[in-house]
Amino acid sequence: MGTTVTGYHANVWQHFRAPRNAGMFAPGTPGVVSGRAGNAQHGREVEMALRLDEDARILECRYRVYGCPATIALCSLASEALRGQPLAAAATYSVLALAESLRLAAEKRAAALVVEDALREAAAGYNGPLPPYAAATVQAKQV
Amino acid sequence: MNDKVIYLDYAATTPVDPRVAVKMAACLTQEGLYANPASAHTPGRNARGAVERARSQVAALVNAQPGEIIFTSGATESDNLAIKGVAHFYKDKGRHIVTARTEHKAVLDTCRQLEREGFEITWLKPDADGLLPPQRVTQALRADTILVSIMHVNNEIGVAQDIAAIGRGTRARGVLFHVDAAQSAGKLPIDLNMLDVDLMSFSGHKLYGPKGIGALYVRREPRVNLEALIHGGGHEGGLRSGTLATHQIVGMGEAFALAQAQLAEDAGHVAALRERLWRGIHELVPEALLNGHATQRVAGILNVSFPGVEGESLLFACCTLAVSSGSACNSATREPSYVLRALGREDEVAGSSLRFSLGRFTTAAEVDAAARIVGEEYRRLKSLAA
Amino acid sequence: MSLKATSIYLDHNATTPLDPRVLEAMLPWLQGIHGNPSSVHRYGRAARAALDTARQQVAALVNAQPAQVIFTSGGTEANNLALKGVCSGTPDGRLLVSAVEHAAVLEPAETLATQGWRVRQLPVDGDGRLDMQALDDMLDLDVRLVSVMRANNETGVLQDVQAVAGRAHGYGALMHTDAVQAAGRIPVDFVELGVNLMTLSAHKLNGPRGVGALIVDKRVDLRPQLTGGGQEQGLRGGTEDLAGVIGFGKAAELAHSELAVRARQLQALREQMEAGLKCIAGIRIFAAGAERLPNTVQIGVEGHAGEMLVMALDRHGIAVSSGSACHSGSGKPSHVLLAMGVDAAMARSAVRISLGMDNTAENVRALLTALAAVTAKRAGAVALA
Repeated sequence: MGTTVTGYHANVWQHFRAPRNAGMFAPGTPGVVSGRAGNAQHGREVEMALRLDEDARILECRYRVYGCPATIALCSLASEALRGQPLAAAATYSVLALAESLRLAAEKRAAALVVEDALREAAAGYNGPLPPYAAATVQAKQV
Repeated sequence: MNDKVIYLDYAATTPVDPRVAVKMAACLTQEGLYANPASAHTPGRNARGAVERARSQVAALVNAQPGEIIFTSGATESDNLAIKGVAHFYKDKGRHIVTARTEHKAVLDTCRQLEREGFEITWLKPDADGLLPPQRVTQALRADTILVSIMHVNNEIGVAQDIAAIGRGTRARGVLFHVDAAQSAGKLPIDLNMLDVDLMSFSGHKLYGPKGIGALYVRREPRVNLEALIHGGGHEGGLRSGTLATHQIVGMGEAFALAQAQLAEDAGHVAALRERLWRGIHELVPEALLNGHATQRVAGILNVSFPGVEGESLLFACCTLAVSSGSACNSATREPSYVLRALGREDEVAGSSLRFSLGRFTTAAEVDAAARIVGEEYRRLKSLAA
Repeated sequence: MSLKATSIYLDHNATTPLDPRVLEAMLPWLQGIHGNPSSVHRYGRAARAALDTARQQVAALVNAQPAQVIFTSGGTEANNLALKGVCSGTPDGRLLVSAVEHAAVLEPAETLATQGWRVRQLPVDGDGRLDMQALDDMLDLDVRLVSVMRANNETGVLQDVQAVAGRAHGYGALMHTDAVQAAGRIPVDFVELGVNLMTLSAHKLNGPRGVGALIVDKRVDLRPQLTGGGQEQGLRGGTEDLAGVIGFGKAAELAHSELAVRARQLQALREQMEAGLKCIAGIRIFAAGAERLPNTVQIGVEGHAGEMLVMALDRHGIAVSSGSACHSGSGKPSHVLLAMGVDAAMARSAVRISLGMDNTAENVRALLTALAAVTAKRAGAVALA
């Protein structure tokens, strides 16, 4: 995969042009944990939300993103990668490694860290074994 | 990569007018004006004649004398020559220079270098609409002020400063006045006979002429002295050495002559399209903000802030539009425009601003398509963040 | 390649006609929409890519790295950038330049002298070659820069720049060479010459006017002379002359691939010319004993004024020069010839004939005939008076 004329890796470009899984879950959706990182005033802000099943497996990953093309693409790529993974994966998933594999410029590493922080934050919002799935929801941790 | 990109970046550089290209190409053939204009033989004299004709064409656009026009490699060199030339020639008279924070990098960087050499620079801040009240310039003058350098039209936001009033203030105090007119020549009427301007920079490639050629107007009456920047050979009255590039000079002359002939026509065409573009954008993006004074401006530049989306994403999302964020010279760096910040825009808003610049060859269809693309991409990015 | 029948152009050291293949490469860049190479959009990136290709082509001609190429508005600006870029801002040091340099080196050196730099001129011998003994005497640890041209624009004399660079480096000095007349006519190798800075010009090698380059290695801490915009790695501000730079690249590529052929053709024409010149009474070939550019002959014609000869030959449709084009009309004798010890009267009689790829054996014969006629006429006039 080469880089596009924009200087971005073709994968980054594709996910920027057509991000997958964008937009948040409807309020009150059961089994959702979420975390937020970054600050729009500083150029990027990300909120990551994970919908989990009763075994704390990630059924779906959605997000809200304000930022550069790299930030948007990393959200999209991470959301695809985490689907079907155990929640622990969200806490250990290296967005930075993903960014490096996409040959993002050094000054774009910050984008990877913001996405990573949002995922960690979301995973930390999980408070132990879930009660029976249908019965309860996990509140997103307030930031 | 195959879809057509709409060019709306005329303030960065303009296409060469086909009529200019024809004249240039004619100089470049074996039958053309190939000789060195400094040579004594017939081919040399022919080349010199073409250079002098072009000098008259450039002078005519701004109502100057041909002998007051020095050819340079571009407006950047003209700015360097004007500012360093005055500073180094008049340094025993004083070491204070007044300029504005919203000048082009060619002026800012040159003044910063002079600062390191021991000159003192006053950096004036324009109002939020980009305009600099002339009395603010006058008030900044001191007994040791030798030069004021204020651009005519700003390259990012397109506002036009009142150089007539600023000039009256500087002339009354015996201070030299340099104006970077790279963005205004041929777009707004300029009559140097009526203006108290001592030095004025021009560019070929901002006015449908070639890149790599510019000129500096140096007033003869009252006479302005400069220390040359490039020495060796004594070309251009000793002010700018180096073999004259006949084809470039002929191209610039032709471009200036065309601009003079169709100034009103060009300005009318571009102003109408700019209005149409702004209306189109505003309809689709009511939250869009216009940067710079609404009326005291050049027709071709429209600078708009798009709050709530990130600048680089907006620019890249609009990849089928050739527009710029900030001036072209700053595009490689992702810093928010220093011009917009100087006007008091917050970084986030300044960062998500696009400069659309229109020109002679822009069409209504292009403008309509641009408004639609910006509107759609803005909505898409905005929804990602919502 | 043919010039107008009435005009024989023998002034290629002043400027060369543009190669039609170079024009062809330039024309697309003068038509249609092309971006500013600093813009990030598609047009800007395409312009940037073309600029980079030209940079590679120019680098290849002189065996330099593309990143070492700084495009300028010509040889004069490049020479100014080399000298002032190394020296200005630090008014303490010594600068050595050869006495036969082009004005574009001598005048910046004079400017530096007014700023406190101690500038010395290196003498040359009767054939225009640098006096290496004098160089050794003048070199010391205070010398910061030595500037010696590869080939002289008037006489065509070649200097042993490699040897000069070796000595300069021995004292920690940087070495600059003005290779404007040499590049494209003889092999020029940035690495082999061992110089730190080298000046090139497009219009001396059948490229367009208004574009040149300074080749700079990383040992040099260069101060930009044109500021604003950050182009050319911050060393030379201003939007690039895109068509010109692309033409320079093409001209460099052609010169590189055709160098041997060109040198042979020029050398043959010069030999033909010099053989003919020896048959005309009162003509002296300057620097005849030195190794010279294959295309350049400078002659003195006893009892004649060079500028009058240039005018007389011009009436025969032949364009030559009385010395450096930049100084034509000044009436001053050539500083190059004076430095070689030629007396002022003989120096004033100088005529420079510089050949190019568009010249033919017929052109040379026409020159010889015309020269014989105009010098004989003058001699006759003197005899009658």
